[in-house]
Amino acid sequence: MDENNISTAYTPNDSVQALPAQDNTIPKDPIYVDSDKMSAPYSNMPLLQLNDLCKRYPGMGTYMSVFHMNLVIPRGRIIGLLGPNGCGKTTLIKMINGLLAPTSGNVLINGMSPCPATKKVISYLPERTYLDNSMKVSQMVTYFADFYEDFSTEKAYGMLGALGISSDARLKTLSKGTKEKVQLILVMSRQADLYILDEPIAGVDPAARDYILRTIITNYNPGSTIILSTHLISDIENVLDDVIFMKNGSLMLYTSVDSIRSQMGKSIDTYFREVYAC
Amino acid sequence: MLRKLLKYEWMGLRFPLMIMMIVLAGTMVLTCCVILTINPKLDQTIAWYSAMALMLSFFLYYFGIIGCTIGTTLIVVVRFYKTCYTDQGYLTHTLPATAYQILNSKLLAAVLTQLLMIISIMLSIFIILQVGIRHVFSFIPEYSYAELYDQLSFQLSLIAESFAKDFGIRISYWIAYLVIYSVIGITANIITLFGCVSLGQLYAKHRVIGAICAYFIVQFVMFIVGYISALPMYTKMLTGSYSRDVTIFGIMSPTMNLSLFATILLAVGMYFANVHMMTKRLNLE
Repeated sequence: MDENNISTAYTPNDSVQALPAQDNTIPKDPIYVDSDKMSAPYSNMPLLQLNDLCKRYPGMGTYMSVFHMNLVIPRGRIIGLLGPNGCGKTTLIKMINGLLAPTSGNVLINGMSPCPATKKVISYLPERTYLDNSMKVSQMVTYFADFYEDFSTEKAYGMLGALGISSDARLKTLSKGTKEKVQLILVMSRQADLYILDEPIAGVDPAARDYILRTIITNYNPGSTIILSTHLISDIENVLDDVIFMKNGSLMLYTSVDSIRSQMGKSIDTYFREVYAC
Repeated sequence: MLRKLLKYEWMGLRFPLMIMMIVLAGTMVLTCCVILTINPKLDQTIAWYSAMALMLSFFLYYFGIIGCTIGTTLIVVVRFYKTCYTDQGYLTHTLPATAYQILNSKLLAAVLTQLLMIISIMLSIFIILQVGIRHVFSFIPEYSYAELYDQLSFQLSLIAESFAKDFGIRISYWIAYLVIYSVIGITANIITLFGCVSLGQLYAKHRVIGAICAYFIVQFVMFIVGYISALPMYTKMLTGSYSRDVTIFGIMSPTMNLSLFATILLAVGMYFANVHMMTKRLNLE
Protein backbone atom coordinates (compact mmCIF):
# COMPACT_ATOMS: atom_id res chain seq x y z
CA MET A 1 0.00 0.00 0.00
CA ASP A 2 1.31 3.38 -0.91
CA GLU A 3 2.29 5.52 2.02
CA ASN A 4 -0.02 8.24 0.83
CA ASN A 5 -3.06 5.98 0.88
CA ILE A 6 -2.95 5.85 4.66
CA SER A 7 -4.42 9.32 4.80
CA THR A 8 -7.35 8.56 2.54
CA ALA A 9 -8.12 5.51 4.65
CA TYR A 10 -7.96 7.48 7.88
CA THR A 11 -11.30 7.80 9.64
CA PRO A 12 -11.96 10.23 12.50
CA ASN A 13 -13.71 8.85 15.50
CA ASP A 14 -17.03 10.63 15.29
CA SER A 15 -19.92 11.44 13.00
CA VAL A 16 -18.13 14.03 10.86
CA GLN A 17 -16.58 11.32 8.83
CA ALA A 18 -13.42 11.80 6.88
CA LEU A 19 -15.04 10.31 3.84
CA PRO A 20 -12.95 9.29 0.87
CA ALA A 21 -11.46 12.41 -0.58
CA GLN A 22 -13.53 12.46 -3.75
CA ASP A 23 -16.79 12.32 -1.79
CA ASN A 24 -15.71 15.07 0.50
CA THR A 25 -14.78 17.77 -1.92
CA ILE A 26 -17.71 20.11 -1.49
CA PRO A 27 -18.95 21.57 1.79
CA LYS A 28 -22.19 20.12 3.04
CA ASP A 29 -23.80 23.45 3.78
CA PRO A 30 -25.17 25.58 0.96
CA ILE A 31 -22.89 28.41 -0.01
CA TYR A 32 -24.44 31.79 -0.60
CA VAL A 33 -22.47 34.13 -2.78
CA ASP A 34 -23.43 37.60 -3.86
CA SER A 35 -23.21 37.01 -7.58
CA ASP A 36 -23.04 40.77 -8.36
CA LYS A 37 -19.62 40.91 -6.72
CA MET A 38 -18.15 38.08 -8.69
CA SER A 39 -15.88 38.61 -11.63
CA ALA A 40 -18.53 38.66 -14.33
CA PRO A 41 -16.96 36.38 -16.98
CA TYR A 42 -16.15 33.65 -14.48
CA SER A 43 -19.15 33.79 -12.17
CA ASN A 44 -20.63 30.52 -13.42
CA MET A 45 -17.51 28.43 -12.92
CA PRO A 46 -15.73 27.38 -9.74
CA LEU A 47 -13.06 29.76 -8.59
CA LEU A 48 -10.57 26.99 -7.97
CA GLN A 49 -10.68 23.40 -9.07
CA LEU A 50 -8.09 20.70 -8.44
CA ASN A 51 -8.37 17.63 -10.65
CA ASP A 52 -6.53 14.54 -9.50
CA LEU A 53 -3.60 16.70 -8.52
CA CYS A 54 -0.34 14.98 -7.60
CA LYS A 55 3.11 16.26 -6.81
CA ARG A 56 6.21 14.17 -6.37
CA TYR A 57 9.51 15.94 -5.75
CA PRO A 58 12.62 14.58 -7.43
CA GLY A 59 14.67 12.43 -5.06
CA MET A 60 11.67 11.61 -2.86
CA GLY A 61 11.15 8.15 -4.31
CA THR A 62 7.51 7.20 -4.70
CA TYR A 63 6.34 9.53 -1.96
CA MET A 64 3.84 12.09 -3.18
CA SER A 65 3.72 15.43 -1.39
CA VAL A 66 0.25 15.95 -2.83
CA PHE A 67 -1.66 12.80 -3.65
CA HIS A 68 -4.57 12.61 -6.11
CA MET A 69 -6.30 15.66 -4.76
CA ASN A 70 -9.71 16.68 -6.06
CA LEU A 71 -11.28 19.84 -4.80
CA VAL A 72 -13.71 22.52 -5.87
CA ILE A 73 -13.47 25.85 -4.10
CA PRO A 74 -16.41 28.22 -4.59
CA ARG A 75 -16.44 31.99 -4.30
CA GLY A 76 -17.19 33.98 -1.18
CA ARG A 77 -15.71 31.70 1.46
CA ILE A 78 -13.00 31.98 4.06
CA ILE A 79 -11.36 28.58 4.16
CA GLY A 80 -8.80 27.27 6.61
CA LEU A 81 -6.25 24.94 5.05
CA LEU A 82 -5.16 22.89 8.03
CA GLY A 83 -2.83 20.04 8.65
CA PRO A 84 0.39 19.07 10.42
CA ASN A 85 3.83 20.07 9.20
CA GLY A 86 4.82 18.39 5.96
CA CYS A 87 1.29 17.40 5.00
CA GLY A 88 1.54 19.18 1.65
CA LYS A 89 -0.23 22.48 2.35
CA THR A 90 2.56 24.70 1.01
CA THR A 91 3.16 22.40 -1.97
CA LEU A 92 -0.52 22.64 -2.82
CA ILE A 93 -0.46 26.42 -2.46
CA LYS A 94 2.62 26.67 -4.67
CA MET A 95 0.94 24.63 -7.40
CA ILE A 96 -2.13 26.85 -7.28
CA ASN A 97 0.15 29.86 -7.71
CA GLY A 98 2.11 28.34 -10.57
CA LEU A 99 5.28 28.13 -8.50
CA LEU A 100 5.42 24.36 -8.87
CA ALA A 101 4.42 22.23 -11.81
CA PRO A 102 2.15 19.29 -10.86
CA THR A 103 3.45 15.77 -11.51
CA SER A 104 -0.01 14.88 -12.77
CA GLY A 105 -3.49 16.33 -12.66
CA ASN A 106 -4.22 20.00 -13.01
CA VAL A 107 -5.19 23.19 -11.24
CA LEU A 108 -7.86 25.42 -12.74
CA ILE A 109 -8.45 28.96 -11.58
CA ASN A 110 -11.54 30.47 -13.19
CA GLY A 111 -11.26 27.55 -15.60
CA MET A 112 -7.65 28.32 -16.57
CA SER A 113 -4.36 26.66 -15.70
CA PRO A 114 -1.92 28.92 -13.78
CA CYS A 115 -0.81 31.68 -16.16
CA PRO A 116 -0.46 35.48 -16.09
CA ALA A 117 -4.27 35.79 -16.32
CA THR A 118 -4.75 33.68 -13.19
CA LYS A 119 -1.98 35.52 -11.37
CA LYS A 120 -3.96 38.70 -11.92
CA VAL A 121 -6.80 37.31 -9.81
CA ILE A 122 -4.78 35.61 -7.07
CA SER A 123 -3.27 37.57 -4.24
CA TYR A 124 -0.69 35.35 -2.60
CA LEU A 125 1.10 35.77 0.69
CA PRO A 126 3.91 33.20 1.01
CA GLU A 127 5.25 32.01 4.33
CA ARG A 128 8.53 33.78 3.51
CA THR A 129 9.50 37.41 3.28
CA TYR A 130 9.68 38.00 -0.44
CA LEU A 131 10.17 41.74 -0.59
CA ASP A 132 13.32 43.37 -1.94
CA ASN A 133 15.12 44.58 1.17
CA SER A 134 16.83 47.41 -0.66
CA MET A 135 13.50 49.06 -1.46
CA LYS A 136 11.49 51.48 0.62
CA VAL A 137 7.97 50.62 1.76
CA SER A 138 6.60 53.33 -0.53
CA GLN A 139 8.52 51.84 -3.47
CA MET A 140 6.97 48.45 -2.77
CA VAL A 141 3.52 50.08 -2.75
CA THR A 142 4.32 51.62 -6.16
CA TYR A 143 5.63 48.24 -7.35
CA PHE A 144 2.35 46.51 -6.48
CA ALA A 145 0.34 49.38 -7.97
CA ASP A 146 2.36 49.08 -11.20
CA PHE A 147 1.88 45.37 -11.62
CA TYR A 148 -1.59 44.74 -10.22
CA GLU A 149 -4.50 46.64 -11.68
CA ASP A 150 -6.66 45.71 -8.68
CA PHE A 151 -4.25 47.21 -6.15
CA SER A 152 -5.51 50.12 -4.03
CA THR A 153 -2.72 52.50 -3.03
CA GLU A 154 -5.03 54.41 -0.68
CA LYS A 155 -5.97 51.25 1.16
CA ALA A 156 -2.31 50.28 1.49
CA TYR A 157 -1.25 53.64 2.90
CA GLY A 158 -4.26 53.61 5.18
CA MET A 159 -3.28 50.27 6.67
CA LEU A 160 0.40 51.25 6.91
CA GLY A 161 -0.63 54.38 8.82
CA ALA A 162 -2.91 52.37 11.12
CA LEU A 163 -0.03 50.06 11.99
CA GLY A 164 2.41 52.95 12.40
CA ILE A 165 4.73 51.77 9.63
CA SER A 166 6.60 54.57 7.94
CA SER A 167 6.36 54.46 4.16
CA ASP A 168 9.83 56.02 3.92
CA ALA A 169 11.47 53.18 5.85
CA ARG A 170 13.69 50.81 3.92
CA LEU A 171 12.61 47.21 4.28
CA LYS A 172 16.04 46.15 5.50
CA THR A 173 15.60 48.41 8.54
CA LEU A 174 12.33 46.76 9.55
CA SER A 175 11.96 43.80 11.87
CA LYS A 176 10.83 40.43 10.47
CA GLY A 177 7.37 40.88 12.00
CA THR A 178 6.97 44.37 10.52
CA LYS A 179 8.05 43.11 7.09
CA GLU A 180 5.38 40.42 7.34
CA LYS A 181 2.83 43.08 8.19
CA VAL A 182 3.92 45.13 5.16
CA GLN A 183 3.58 42.02 2.98
CA LEU A 184 0.13 41.30 4.31
CA ILE A 185 -0.94 44.90 3.76
CA LEU A 186 0.27 44.74 0.15
CA VAL A 187 -1.52 41.46 -0.46
CA MET A 188 -4.76 42.56 1.19
CA SER A 189 -4.78 45.91 -0.63
CA ARG A 190 -5.70 44.07 -3.79
CA GLN A 191 -9.25 43.34 -4.90
CA ALA A 192 -8.43 39.80 -5.93
CA ASP A 193 -10.79 36.89 -6.55
CA LEU A 194 -8.68 34.51 -4.51
CA TYR A 195 -6.44 35.34 -1.58
CA ILE A 196 -4.02 32.64 -0.55
CA LEU A 197 -2.38 33.36 2.76
CA ASP A 198 0.29 30.92 3.90
CA GLU A 199 0.91 31.32 7.62
CA PRO A 200 -0.06 35.02 7.72
CA ILE A 201 0.03 35.35 11.50
CA ALA A 202 2.87 33.01 12.43
CA GLY A 203 5.58 35.64 12.74
CA VAL A 204 3.71 38.44 14.45
CA ASP A 205 2.95 39.19 18.06
CA PRO A 206 -0.48 38.26 19.48
CA ALA A 207 -1.56 41.90 19.63
CA ALA A 208 -0.91 42.35 15.94
CA ARG A 209 -2.71 39.10 15.10
CA ASP A 210 -6.07 40.60 15.96
CA TYR A 211 -5.36 43.56 13.70
CA ILE A 212 -4.23 41.29 10.90
CA LEU A 213 -7.30 39.08 11.16
CA ARG A 214 -9.50 42.18 11.22
CA THR A 215 -7.60 43.39 8.16
CA ILE A 216 -8.23 40.12 6.38
CA ILE A 217 -11.94 40.12 7.16
CA THR A 218 -12.60 43.77 6.46
CA ASN A 219 -10.52 44.07 3.31
CA TYR A 220 -11.65 41.17 1.30
CA ASN A 221 -14.31 41.40 -1.32
CA PRO A 222 -17.32 39.27 -0.28
CA GLY A 223 -17.28 37.70 -3.74
CA SER A 224 -13.70 36.58 -3.17
CA THR A 225 -12.40 33.55 -1.39
CA ILE A 226 -9.62 33.41 1.15
CA ILE A 227 -7.59 30.28 1.72
CA LEU A 228 -5.74 30.58 4.98
CA SER A 229 -3.08 28.11 5.95
CA THR A 230 -1.97 28.17 9.57
CA HIS A 231 -1.20 26.15 12.66
CA LEU A 232 -2.67 28.82 14.93
CA ILE A 233 -6.19 27.47 14.59
CA SER A 234 -7.66 28.93 17.74
CA ASP A 235 -6.73 32.42 16.53
CA ILE A 236 -8.50 32.08 13.21
CA GLU A 237 -11.33 29.64 13.68
CA ASN A 238 -13.87 32.35 14.38
CA VAL A 239 -13.35 33.88 10.96
CA LEU A 240 -13.51 30.64 8.98
CA ASP A 241 -16.47 29.42 6.95
CA ASP A 242 -14.97 26.09 5.90
CA VAL A 243 -11.97 23.96 6.72
CA ILE A 244 -9.82 21.66 4.67
CA PHE A 245 -7.88 19.03 6.62
CA MET A 246 -4.88 17.51 4.88
CA LYS A 247 -2.74 14.59 5.87
CA ASN A 248 0.19 13.01 4.04
CA GLY A 249 -0.61 14.97 0.92
CA SER A 250 -4.23 13.88 0.74
CA LEU A 251 -7.46 15.65 1.37
CA MET A 252 -8.87 14.28 4.61
CA LEU A 253 -11.86 16.48 5.17
CA TYR A 254 -13.49 19.46 3.54
CA THR A 255 -16.48 20.70 5.41
CA SER A 256 -17.99 23.78 6.95
CA VAL A 257 -16.95 24.99 10.37
CA ASP A 258 -20.58 24.98 11.48
CA SER A 259 -21.03 21.32 10.66
CA ILE A 260 -18.05 20.38 12.79
CA ARG A 261 -19.34 22.49 15.64
CA SER A 262 -22.91 21.22 15.41
CA GLN A 263 -22.17 17.56 14.78
CA MET A 264 -19.10 17.22 16.97
CA GLY A 265 -19.84 19.88 19.54
CA LYS A 266 -16.19 20.82 19.42
CA SER A 267 -14.15 23.75 18.32
CA ILE A 268 -12.00 23.36 15.20
CA ASP A 269 -8.90 23.59 17.35
CA THR A 270 -10.04 20.75 19.60
CA TYR A 271 -11.14 18.64 16.66
CA PHE A 272 -7.83 19.25 14.89
CA ARG A 273 -5.90 18.11 17.98
CA GLU A 274 -7.97 14.93 18.13
CA VAL A 275 -7.60 14.14 14.46
CA TYR A 276 -3.88 14.76 14.36
CA ALA A 277 -3.04 13.43 17.82
CA CYS A 278 0.40 11.84 17.78
CA MET B 1 4.43 44.50 -18.88
CA LEU B 2 7.96 44.14 -20.27
CA ARG B 3 8.51 47.87 -19.80
CA LYS B 4 7.42 47.70 -16.15
CA LEU B 5 9.61 44.67 -15.50
CA LEU B 6 12.53 46.39 -17.20
CA LYS B 7 12.01 49.50 -15.11
CA TYR B 8 12.29 47.59 -11.84
CA GLU B 9 15.15 45.48 -13.14
CA TRP B 10 17.06 48.62 -13.98
CA MET B 11 16.20 50.12 -10.57
CA GLY B 12 17.75 47.08 -8.95
CA LEU B 13 20.92 47.19 -11.06
CA ARG B 14 21.64 50.89 -11.27
CA PHE B 15 22.93 51.38 -7.72
CA PRO B 16 25.57 48.59 -7.79
CA LEU B 17 26.51 49.70 -11.33
CA MET B 18 26.98 53.23 -10.04
CA ILE B 19 29.34 51.92 -7.35
CA MET B 20 31.35 50.09 -10.04
CA MET B 21 31.52 53.26 -12.10
CA ILE B 22 32.69 55.27 -9.09
CA VAL B 23 35.50 52.72 -8.57
CA LEU B 24 36.43 52.99 -12.26
CA ALA B 25 36.30 56.79 -12.14
CA GLY B 26 38.42 56.77 -8.98
CA THR B 27 41.21 54.70 -10.54
CA MET B 28 41.02 56.80 -13.71
CA VAL B 29 41.30 60.09 -11.80
CA LEU B 30 44.21 58.70 -9.77
CA THR B 31 46.01 57.65 -12.96
CA CYS B 32 45.40 61.07 -14.54
CA CYS B 33 46.71 62.84 -11.41
CA VAL B 34 49.86 60.71 -11.41
CA ILE B 35 50.38 61.45 -15.15
CA LEU B 36 50.13 65.15 -14.40
CA THR B 37 52.88 64.89 -11.74
CA ILE B 38 55.41 63.70 -14.35
CA ASN B 39 57.78 66.49 -15.20
CA PRO B 40 61.02 65.95 -17.19
CA LYS B 41 62.45 69.03 -15.46
CA LEU B 42 62.42 67.28 -12.10
CA ASP B 43 65.64 65.75 -10.77
CA GLN B 44 66.32 62.08 -11.37
CA THR B 45 65.25 60.76 -7.95
CA ILE B 46 61.88 62.49 -8.03
CA ALA B 47 61.40 61.45 -11.67
CA TRP B 48 62.04 57.83 -10.64
CA TYR B 49 59.43 58.04 -7.89
CA SER B 50 57.10 59.68 -10.36
CA ALA B 51 57.59 56.88 -12.89
CA MET B 52 57.07 54.25 -10.16
CA ALA B 53 53.87 56.00 -9.06
CA LEU B 54 52.70 56.03 -12.68
CA MET B 55 53.38 52.33 -13.04
CA LEU B 56 51.51 51.56 -9.83
CA SER B 57 48.57 53.70 -10.84
CA PHE B 58 48.42 51.89 -14.20
CA PHE B 59 48.36 48.58 -12.33
CA LEU B 60 45.60 49.90 -10.11
CA TYR B 61 43.67 51.13 -13.13
CA TYR B 62 44.15 47.80 -14.89
CA PHE B 63 42.84 45.88 -11.88
CA GLY B 64 40.04 48.46 -11.61
CA ILE B 65 38.95 47.60 -15.14
CA ILE B 66 39.16 43.86 -14.46
CA GLY B 67 37.30 44.27 -11.18
CA CYS B 68 34.57 46.39 -12.75
CA THR B 69 34.10 43.97 -15.64
CA ILE B 70 33.88 40.90 -13.40
CA GLY B 71 31.93 42.87 -10.79
CA THR B 72 29.28 43.94 -13.31
CA THR B 73 28.84 40.36 -14.51
CA LEU B 74 28.52 39.17 -10.92
CA ILE B 75 25.98 41.87 -10.13
CA VAL B 76 23.63 40.83 -12.92
CA VAL B 77 24.04 37.11 -12.20
CA VAL B 78 23.54 37.49 -8.44
CA ARG B 79 20.47 39.66 -9.03
CA PHE B 80 19.06 37.07 -11.43
CA TYR B 81 19.61 34.33 -8.84
CA LYS B 82 18.17 36.37 -5.99
CA THR B 83 15.06 37.56 -7.80
CA CYS B 84 14.29 34.25 -9.48
CA TYR B 85 15.36 31.50 -7.13
CA THR B 86 15.51 32.81 -3.57
CA ASP B 87 12.66 34.20 -1.46
CA GLN B 88 12.22 37.10 -3.87
CA GLY B 89 11.34 34.51 -6.50
CA TYR B 90 7.95 34.15 -4.80
CA LEU B 91 7.22 37.73 -5.82
CA THR B 92 8.82 37.52 -9.28
CA HIS B 93 7.03 34.35 -10.33
CA THR B 94 3.61 35.43 -9.06
CA LEU B 95 3.61 38.63 -11.07
CA PRO B 96 1.09 38.61 -13.92
CA ALA B 97 3.85 38.12 -16.48
CA THR B 98 5.04 35.22 -18.59
CA ALA B 99 8.39 33.53 -18.01
CA TYR B 100 9.51 34.97 -21.36
CA GLN B 101 8.72 38.51 -20.22
CA ILE B 102 10.52 38.02 -16.91
CA LEU B 103 13.57 36.53 -18.62
CA ASN B 104 13.64 39.12 -21.40
CA SER B 105 13.50 41.99 -18.94
CA LYS B 106 16.38 40.57 -16.94
CA LEU B 107 18.36 39.89 -20.08
CA LEU B 108 17.86 43.34 -21.56
CA ALA B 109 18.74 45.07 -18.29
CA ALA B 110 21.84 42.89 -17.89
CA VAL B 111 23.05 43.55 -21.46
CA LEU B 112 22.44 47.27 -21.00
CA THR B 113 24.42 47.22 -17.74
CA GLN B 114 27.32 45.38 -19.38
CA LEU B 115 27.36 47.71 -22.39
CA LEU B 116 27.30 50.77 -20.16
CA MET B 117 30.28 49.41 -18.25
CA ILE B 118 32.19 48.70 -21.47
CA ILE B 119 31.44 52.21 -22.80
CA SER B 120 32.58 53.67 -19.44
CA ILE B 121 35.83 51.70 -19.62
CA MET B 122 36.49 52.88 -23.18
CA LEU B 123 35.68 56.45 -22.19
CA SER B 124 38.07 56.26 -19.25
CA ILE B 125 40.87 54.94 -21.52
CA PHE B 126 40.20 57.80 -23.93
CA ILE B 127 40.33 60.36 -21.10
CA ILE B 128 43.62 58.93 -19.77
CA LEU B 129 45.14 59.02 -23.28
CA GLN B 130 43.97 62.60 -23.79
CA VAL B 131 45.37 63.72 -20.44
CA GLY B 132 48.68 61.94 -21.16
CA ILE B 133 49.07 63.35 -24.69
CA ARG B 134 48.15 66.90 -23.69
CA HIS B 135 50.48 66.72 -20.68
CA VAL B 136 53.37 65.53 -22.87
CA PHE B 137 52.69 68.33 -25.36
CA SER B 138 52.78 70.89 -22.60
CA PHE B 139 56.57 70.24 -22.48
CA ILE B 140 56.98 70.53 -26.28
CA PRO B 141 55.66 73.97 -27.16
CA GLU B 142 57.02 73.79 -30.72
CA TYR B 143 54.86 70.71 -31.47
CA SER B 144 51.09 71.23 -31.33
CA TYR B 145 48.29 68.80 -30.67
CA ALA B 146 46.74 69.71 -34.03
CA GLU B 147 49.93 68.63 -35.79
CA LEU B 148 49.89 65.31 -33.97
CA TYR B 149 46.24 64.84 -34.85
CA ASP B 150 47.02 65.47 -38.55
CA GLN B 151 49.92 63.04 -38.51
CA LEU B 152 47.87 60.49 -36.65
CA SER B 153 45.03 60.80 -39.18
CA PHE B 154 47.51 60.35 -42.02
CA GLN B 155 49.08 57.29 -40.40
CA LEU B 156 45.67 55.82 -39.66
CA SER B 157 44.63 56.20 -43.31
CA LEU B 158 47.80 54.35 -44.32
CA ILE B 159 47.08 51.65 -41.78
CA ALA B 160 43.50 51.42 -43.05
CA GLU B 161 44.73 50.98 -46.60
CA SER B 162 47.21 48.26 -45.74
CA PHE B 163 44.63 46.66 -43.44
CA ALA B 164 42.11 46.48 -46.29
CA LYS B 165 44.78 44.99 -48.54
CA ASP B 166 45.99 42.36 -46.03
CA PHE B 167 42.68 41.53 -44.35
CA GLY B 168 40.53 41.71 -47.46
CA ILE B 169 37.95 43.85 -45.67
CA ARG B 170 37.69 47.57 -44.96
CA ILE B 171 38.66 48.54 -41.41
CA SER B 172 35.26 50.18 -40.79
CA TYR B 173 33.51 46.93 -41.71
CA TRP B 174 35.94 44.99 -39.56
CA ILE B 175 35.17 47.26 -36.58
CA ALA B 176 31.42 46.94 -37.24
CA TYR B 177 31.86 43.15 -37.46
CA LEU B 178 33.73 43.12 -34.15
CA VAL B 179 31.13 45.34 -32.46
CA ILE B 180 28.28 43.07 -33.60
CA TYR B 181 30.35 40.01 -32.65
CA SER B 182 30.99 41.48 -29.17
CA VAL B 183 27.36 42.48 -28.54
CA ILE B 184 26.19 39.00 -29.54
CA GLY B 185 28.98 37.49 -27.43
CA ILE B 186 28.03 39.57 -24.37
CA THR B 187 24.33 38.71 -24.76
CA ALA B 188 25.10 35.02 -25.26
CA ASN B 189 27.41 35.04 -22.25
CA ILE B 190 24.69 36.51 -20.03
CA ILE B 191 22.09 34.03 -21.27
CA THR B 192 24.58 31.22 -20.64
CA LEU B 193 25.28 32.44 -17.12
CA PHE B 194 21.56 32.78 -16.40
CA GLY B 195 21.05 29.30 -17.86
CA CYS B 196 23.73 27.85 -15.60
CA VAL B 197 22.12 29.49 -12.56
CA SER B 198 18.80 27.98 -13.62
CA LEU B 199 20.30 24.53 -14.26
CA GLY B 200 21.90 24.71 -10.80
CA GLN B 201 18.36 24.65 -9.37
CA LEU B 202 18.14 21.00 -10.38
CA TYR B 203 20.43 20.25 -7.45
CA ALA B 204 17.95 21.28 -4.76
CA LYS B 205 20.44 20.98 -1.89
CA HIS B 206 23.47 22.52 -3.61
CA ARG B 207 22.03 25.11 -5.96
CA VAL B 208 25.04 27.42 -6.13
CA ILE B 209 27.54 24.58 -6.53
CA GLY B 210 25.23 23.10 -9.16
CA ALA B 211 25.26 26.39 -11.06
CA ILE B 212 29.08 26.60 -10.92
CA CYS B 213 29.40 22.98 -12.12
CA ALA B 214 26.94 23.67 -14.95
CA TYR B 215 29.04 26.69 -15.97
CA PHE B 216 32.27 24.68 -16.09
CA ILE B 217 30.62 21.89 -18.07
CA VAL B 218 29.25 24.43 -20.57
CA GLN B 219 32.66 26.12 -20.82
CA PHE B 220 34.35 22.76 -21.42
CA VAL B 221 31.89 21.90 -24.18
CA MET B 222 32.39 25.34 -25.73
CA PHE B 223 36.16 24.85 -25.57
CA ILE B 224 35.82 21.65 -27.60
CA VAL B 225 33.46 23.37 -30.02
CA GLY B 226 35.91 26.29 -30.29
CA TYR B 227 38.74 23.89 -31.07
CA ILE B 228 36.70 22.18 -33.78
CA SER B 229 35.57 25.50 -35.25
CA ALA B 230 39.23 26.60 -35.44
CA LEU B 231 40.03 23.68 -37.76
CA PRO B 232 39.03 25.58 -40.95
CA MET B 233 41.40 28.39 -39.91
CA TYR B 234 44.32 26.02 -39.35
CA THR B 235 43.55 24.28 -42.66
CA LYS B 236 43.48 27.57 -44.54
CA MET B 237 46.65 28.75 -42.79
CA LEU B 238 48.44 25.60 -43.96
CA THR B 239 47.14 25.77 -47.50
CA GLY B 240 47.05 29.58 -47.69
CA SER B 241 50.80 29.88 -48.07
CA TYR B 242 50.43 28.36 -51.53
CA SER B 243 47.68 30.73 -52.60
CA ARG B 244 48.21 34.39 -53.49
CA ASP B 245 44.51 35.32 -53.19
CA VAL B 246 44.01 34.35 -49.59
CA THR B 247 43.47 37.20 -47.07
CA ILE B 248 43.66 37.22 -43.27
CA PHE B 249 39.90 37.82 -43.02
CA GLY B 250 39.40 34.96 -45.46
CA ILE B 251 41.34 32.71 -43.10
CA MET B 252 39.77 34.01 -39.88
CA SER B 253 36.16 34.57 -40.86
CA PRO B 254 35.06 30.90 -41.18
CA THR B 255 36.35 30.19 -37.69
CA MET B 256 34.89 33.38 -36.26
CA ASN B 257 31.55 32.73 -37.96
CA LEU B 258 31.50 29.11 -36.81
CA SER B 259 32.37 30.20 -33.27
CA LEU B 260 29.64 32.88 -33.43
CA PHE B 261 27.16 30.32 -34.72
CA ALA B 262 28.06 27.94 -31.86
CA THR B 263 27.70 30.79 -29.35
CA ILE B 264 24.28 31.72 -30.74
CA LEU B 265 23.21 28.09 -30.71
CA LEU B 266 24.31 27.76 -27.08
CA ALA B 267 22.53 30.99 -26.16
CA VAL B 268 19.29 29.84 -27.79
CA GLY B 269 19.55 26.50 -25.98
CA MET B 270 20.25 28.22 -22.68
CA TYR B 271 17.38 30.66 -23.22
CA PHE B 272 14.90 27.82 -23.54
CA ALA B 273 16.58 25.98 -20.65
CA ASN B 274 15.89 29.09 -18.57
CA VAL B 275 12.26 29.21 -19.64
CA HIS B 276 11.88 25.47 -18.97
CA MET B 277 13.37 25.82 -15.50
CA MET B 278 11.17 28.83 -14.72
CA THR B 279 7.98 27.11 -15.78
CA LYS B 280 8.23 23.33 -15.54
CA ARG B 281 11.02 22.79 -13.02
CA LEU B 282 10.62 25.76 -10.71
CA ASN B 283 11.13 24.64 -7.13
CA LEU B 284 11.66 27.54 -4.78
CA GLU B 285 12.92 26.71 -1.31
